[in-house]
Amino acid sequence: MLEVESLTVAYGGLRALTNVSIEVKTGELVCVVGPNGAGKSTLFKTISGTVLPRSGKVLFEGVDLSTVSAARRGHLGIAHVPEGREVFRSMSVMENLEMGAWAEAGRSRFAETLERVFSLFPVLAERRDQLAGTLSGGQQQMLAIGRGLASRPKLMMLDEPSMGLAPAVADTIFESISQLHREGEMAILLVEQRVAEAMEYSNRGYVLQTGEVILSGKFDELSKDDRIRRAYFGM
Amino acid sequence: MLIEQFLQALTSGILLGCIYGLMCVGLAFIFGTMGVINFAQADFMMVGMYLVLAIAGSLLAGTALGAFAPFLAAFLVGPLMFGIGYLLHRGLIVCTTGLRIANQIEAHQAQLILTLGVALVLQNGALILLGSAPASIISPLSYAAWEIPLLYNDFNVLFVNKAHTYNALICVAVTLSLYWLIRNTRVGKSLRASADNPTAAVYMGIDVDRAHRIAFGFGTAIAGLAGGLIVLYYPVQPLVGMDFLIIMYAGVVLGGLGSLIGAFWGGFVIALVQQLATLVLPLQLQNATVFIVFLLVLLLRPQGFFGRTVDRA
Repeated sequence: MLEVESLTVAYGGLRALTNVSIEVKTGELVCVVGPNGAGKSTLFKTISGTVLPRSGKVLFEGVDLSTVSAARRGHLGIAHVPEGREVFRSMSVMENLEMGAWAEAGRSRFAETLERVFSLFPVLAERRDQLAGTLSGGQQQMLAIGRGLASRPKLMMLDEPSMGLAPAVADTIFESISQLHREGEMAILLVEQRVAEAMEYSNRGYVLQTGEVILSGKFDELSKDDRIRRAYFGM
Repeated sequence: MLIEQFLQALTSGILLGCIYGLMCVGLAFIFGTMGVINFAQADFMMVGMYLVLAIAGSLLAGTALGAFAPFLAAFLVGPLMFGIGYLLHRGLIVCTTGLRIANQIEAHQAQLILTLGVALVLQNGALILLGSAPASIISPLSYAAWEIPLLYNDFNVLFVNKAHTYNALICVAVTLSLYWLIRNTRVGKSLRASADNPTAAVYMGIDVDRAHRIAFGFGTAIAGLAGGLIVLYYPVQPLVGMDFLIIMYAGVVLGGLGSLIGAFWGGFVIALVQQLATLVLPLQLQNATVFIVFLLVLLLRPQGFFGRTVDRA
């Protein structure tokens, strides 16, 4: 479904990604882990088109996205739930969801989406007329995910959904991501710093370090790797 | 006698205030949706004034529409100016706005210089093409007034100019319609989303540059319309924009940057102050009073009437 082929991205002279290749198949939950500054967010931004690669390409359902504008990619079925939620703070919860359903696929099934989002996150239903900027961090994350769902994506990219959340709230978020994965309607690409949880829920993953994929595979194999154990589990 | 004068000044202040309000709404709309401080806004008004002069003077003259020609012309000018603004954004303004901008501060400098350049081209273009002689248009309605008797006094009446009243009503209607469009329509919401968080808007599949084009078109159309209406008060010449530019900026800042309804009240208050000041001060000091009030508001309530002190929590 998504193939990233030897992507290299640089900001000015600074290399953010070097020769990164990843793949996500239909219905999979794939996780990218790595320390701060490893290039995880850059990878997502390149896939959704707000950062342009120096070389390499991104294929979505076999289509080369290099000539597709960032805004058009939202219409192809890629939903990007960005780091730091990035909800529309001055707009209500409902309006945020409506904006999520901007693309044709989302618009025609908006009523159905609302039901799904509100059953996944009942608190959003209670606060549907509240301004998004006044929600708590956890609620904003739920809204950001709901807004992503509203486009009825084939691939949802979640950038650090647990960042800055209390552990209990983060668990709720992980639980809902896992539920979305089990429903199997879309593939999920997840960037996470909470490696233990990410591994628990994902099919497989990639370890990114200073802009390069240093390891990839199933997580039960990855967790046996010494480098990973030292870096992430303190063993 | 003083009370009648006061009421008369208040009336003309309110009627003029609606036009100033609309002027400010156009500027605030462009700033609020795309963050561009448009120096050419007052010169778009000048273009609107000339267009009304041309349309009402030639196309509609002598038809049955007669007295209403300037108003109808102003409404034709709206869509025309929308097109001009839309194309101007597509060709020029887009180079300095939107997501391609890496450095916001540099982008602001580029926007200021670009819109200032547009202003200069419009002013000098008009000077070359149309000359510097002021021109004006009048409708029979400019001389017509409703005479409202004052209850306590049989000798005096309050004059409410018909042309100015129609102008004011149109301005209020346009402002409210724009506000409604922004709040409730799909396109309006996409403009707000693009203003709120352009990057996230792109992730939703919203074409932010297109949203900005529409916003710039609307802002230009409003300037043209306001100019087209004010030409019944005020003779037009190529540099007439200068007279309005300061008022517009003062009004927008008074109302609180980025708030449409606030901008309307800002312009409204300025017109009221201007008109009421004529009661006690020489006419030459009209604009000085505006700035005294402006400075007082900035000192006492720097966020403006409708601005919020904390923009982002």
